[in-house]
Amino acid sequence: MGEVLIRTQSLRTWFPKRKSLLGKPGAWLKAVDDVSLTIYRGECLGLAGESGCGKSTLGRTILQLVKPRSGSVRFDGTALRNLDFRQLQPFRPRMQMVFQDPRSSLNPKMTMLKILAEAIRANPDHDGDSILDQAVELADMVDLRPEHLFRYPHEFSGGQQQRICIARALATCPDFIVFDESTSALDVSVQAQILNLIKRLKQRLGLTYLFISHDLNVLAQVCERIAVMYAGQIVEIQESGRLFSSPGHPYTRGLRDAVPIADPEAKQTFVSIKGEVPSLVDPPAGCRFHPRCDFADRLCATRVPELQRLERHRSWIRCHRYRQLNFNQERR
Amino acid sequence: MSVKQKEKPILEVKDLVAEFTTAAGRLRILDGIDFSLFPAEILALVGETGCGKSVTAKSIMNLLAEQVCKRRGKVMMDGVNLLDLSKKQMRSYLGRRISMIFQNPIASINPVFTLGEQIRRLVRIHMAGEITRVKSELGCTTAAAIDRLAAANLEKVGLTDVDQLMRAYAHQISGGMAQRYRIATAVLGNPDVLIADEATSALDVTVQAHILRLLKRLSAEKNTAIIFITHDLGIAAQLCQQVAVMYSGRIVEVAPTAELFKNPLHPYTRGLLKAVPQLSRKTGLEHIPGTIPDLRNPPSGCRFHPRCRQAMERCRRLRPPLVETKSHQVCCHLYDAGNKEAAWAKS
Amino acid sequence: MKDELKYKHLAEQAAREHRRERKIRTIAFLKRKSAAAALLVLVLITLAAVFAPLVAPYPDQGKGAVNLGERLQPLSGKHLLGTDTFGRDILSRLVYGARVSIFGGLFIVCAAALIGVPLGLWAGYSEGAPGVVISRIGEILISFPAVLIAIAITTVIGAGLTSAVIALIIPWWPWYARIIQGEVLRLKRMLFVEAAQMLGYGKSYILFRHLLPNIMRTVMVMMLLDFGPAIISIGLLGFLGLGTQPPNADWGLMVWEGAPNLMQQPWIAISPGAAMFILVMAFNIFGDNLQDYLDG
Repeated sequence: MGEVLIRTQSLRTWFPKRKSLLGKPGAWLKAVDDVSLTIYRGECLGLAGESGCGKSTLGRTILQLVKPRSGSVRFDGTALRNLDFRQLQPFRPRMQMVFQDPRSSLNPKMTMLKILAEAIRANPDHDGDSILDQAVELADMVDLRPEHLFRYPHEFSGGQQQRICIARALATCPDFIVFDESTSALDVSVQAQILNLIKRLKQRLGLTYLFISHDLNVLAQVCERIAVMYAGQIVEIQESGRLFSSPGHPYTRGLRDAVPIADPEAKQTFVSIKGEVPSLVDPPAGCRFHPRCDFADRLCATRVPELQRLERHRSWIRCHRYRQLNFNQERR
Repeated sequence: MSVKQKEKPILEVKDLVAEFTTAAGRLRILDGIDFSLFPAEILALVGETGCGKSVTAKSIMNLLAEQVCKRRGKVMMDGVNLLDLSKKQMRSYLGRRISMIFQNPIASINPVFTLGEQIRRLVRIHMAGEITRVKSELGCTTAAAIDRLAAANLEKVGLTDVDQLMRAYAHQISGGMAQRYRIATAVLGNPDVLIADEATSALDVTVQAHILRLLKRLSAEKNTAIIFITHDLGIAAQLCQQVAVMYSGRIVEVAPTAELFKNPLHPYTRGLLKAVPQLSRKTGLEHIPGTIPDLRNPPSGCRFHPRCRQAMERCRRLRPPLVETKSHQVCCHLYDAGNKEAAWAKS
Repeated sequence: MKDELKYKHLAEQAAREHRRERKIRTIAFLKRKSAAAALLVLVLITLAAVFAPLVAPYPDQGKGAVNLGERLQPLSGKHLLGTDTFGRDILSRLVYGARVSIFGGLFIVCAAALIGVPLGLWAGYSEGAPGVVISRIGEILISFPAVLIAIAITTVIGAGLTSAVIALIIPWWPWYARIIQGEVLRLKRMLFVEAAQMLGYGKSYILFRHLLPNIMRTVMVMMLLDFGPAIISIGLLGFLGLGTQPPNADWGLMVWEGAPNLMQQPWIAISPGAAMFILVMAFNIFGDNLQDYLDG
């Protein structure tokens, strides 16, 4: 480990909000605003945050499904932002995505075999004659049987549909897969099956993941590092164990404490972060979290904190006061 | 529920059966549900998609049309079976004795009236006594008294800027605010029982935390018993005193929360607990093999047997009896009288 | 090789399973009495229209030959539905008139779909300018009454079935374009479209491989449900003298011809009216049932 696979620099994805008569946007929805992030080869980076914080848009921007307004995305050394449709094509098979809703991710008119065949063919280096064999192999990788290949999506359960989506993502032999809330729609027992599968595949195939989820419990299971996003910005990146034991950012701490623990002995009080998520059209000045932060001072309200590197390897934080706050000692 | 409780239950569900008639045939969504709810108790009803937890709630509330869903059994409240009541008779219970809040709070608020108009109407219906009291105390008009009570109720659930809120419509407020508003309207008639159907599942964790705290406080202050329906075992562990685990239309295990998490008896409960991802868990997740059964063609005997590692021959044939241990109620052949030794050895 | 055979076997097994399922559903569909009755009516009328020269008792009268010896005969064994002012057998004229209704309706609906669906696909998928232009043109065309368009066309190419059909197609296709545009916009948000983009597939591939197959169902149901209104519209234009010209047979025209004698010889006007009613009802009932069947 150590080789950089993906690096984004000051990435901004803004969506026009209101349009004036001349077609000029009156306001921007700043879904991703100044995100610099590095994903190393072979790691699983988690991306946590509440709904509407821009985590899904960040995933889509990295994959060039959404064009950023400014900033850069480098994949394996190549800057992707200015590539057109044709120039991007060789990179497409190398980056894949698995979505939240498996039902809507599969074309209802295509059998599993057709879905997989389409994905296999998308890779220019694919072996032309043995698509069926490859499909059988892919099905086996996600614990489905060859007879499943001839069925339509509606004949599968939600968990099985998500397995097909994973198989499709694997079909192009990618280096990198984005999981966008891929287990959120599933039941606990099925979610555990899929999480285990995702972990196993990463080891077996040496994949790199970006795992987007609002559920910290799930991220803790699969990720080595976790980035926490708030109102379009990354506020903290930490090794996952450390993130939960000693969060650096007040928001991370609040988020962690809000997650219900499936253990009655951990007596949670549910004293949670006050207020609600700010609008992305008109985010607060200074630190975006300051109106909800219990530790904010005047500096927080006026100056935007930079994402600074911590002494520890690959850890970053965006907070003026993290040195004073030091949540290290306290345990919940 | 357990033998220790001496109090009289506020709500008793006995052998509740619900059958839906669909094109595919008759689906038995609930197959004999039994549980009791005591005053001020928070009971978690946990289970996965399609286990029938929402139908249980809707059956108790008498919300399902008789043509779609045939129900049998009893839902007893003050010696009255709610299932026997007509829509009109039921109305005198709704809001005063029993209330419900839903998963999608915004959609469950009428979009064409302002929040103020709606809550004022409820105040008029449910708080007649209070209105006269406020009127005589402050010497104000009825309308002013209603306004005051409505605002007070909204403030009680932690809503601020009440004046502005009362002028807003459902689509203008956030999910967290909407759920607080729904709770305010649901408890305004001081019901004895509040049913919360996945009431926080659509909310962010930080907002969910606020709502859970609010519900906990309400239950303690007003002695309201709550049935909290959820798929999240974390919430069950933190919020509830008693947990009932449902699987495929049946309750498979009921126990006080601490007991259930420390010493789960039913193999399904055990599997479920091992499948829950947790921050603190270092070991990998264990999952339950297979998928939830198809209700058009449910498994014979114990409905969990095809996925159960400890299934025996008789699990395939016989519906497991309800076994009461010191603190648990469990439906599993492992704990049958004839089979006791095997069971304790395994647990 | 052995594996290959095994998979082939599995594929066949799955195909058999799907065929069987479809068969069960089709049987269930046909067992619905209303669907079966409607289908029967449709088949009978269509057959009668196709084989009109064989079915009609007096084919030459159906085509318009006068028979002044038997004017205004009431219902009898010789003329099952009586005769009109020119002594022509009404049943024969109904059978020939069915050709106009069925084939005219078919033509309108097919042409509207053939123009509207591609334009709708284009408008929905490209967004931006083409979408706006197509919807604006459609809105303008929809707001013109067909009668007005028919009069305009008649002055150019003369009255007749052709001008009536053209006059109906012009304000008809925008409905297809509009609905299909909406469907495309809905489907485009489905994640399988994004998944195909992730695989590097281009717009036209996604349009034809992913969107079109999912839209066909809507188009089919829409066409079937449109048959009734199309038939009524042709009849209406015929009644107004803007469609089929005498001595050819057309149900709308026949109603007009029978109108002066409505009090004395009601069968002349009522028979074509009833025929139209039955045909349109049959199409609507069948269309409704088919929609349920496809949704189920």
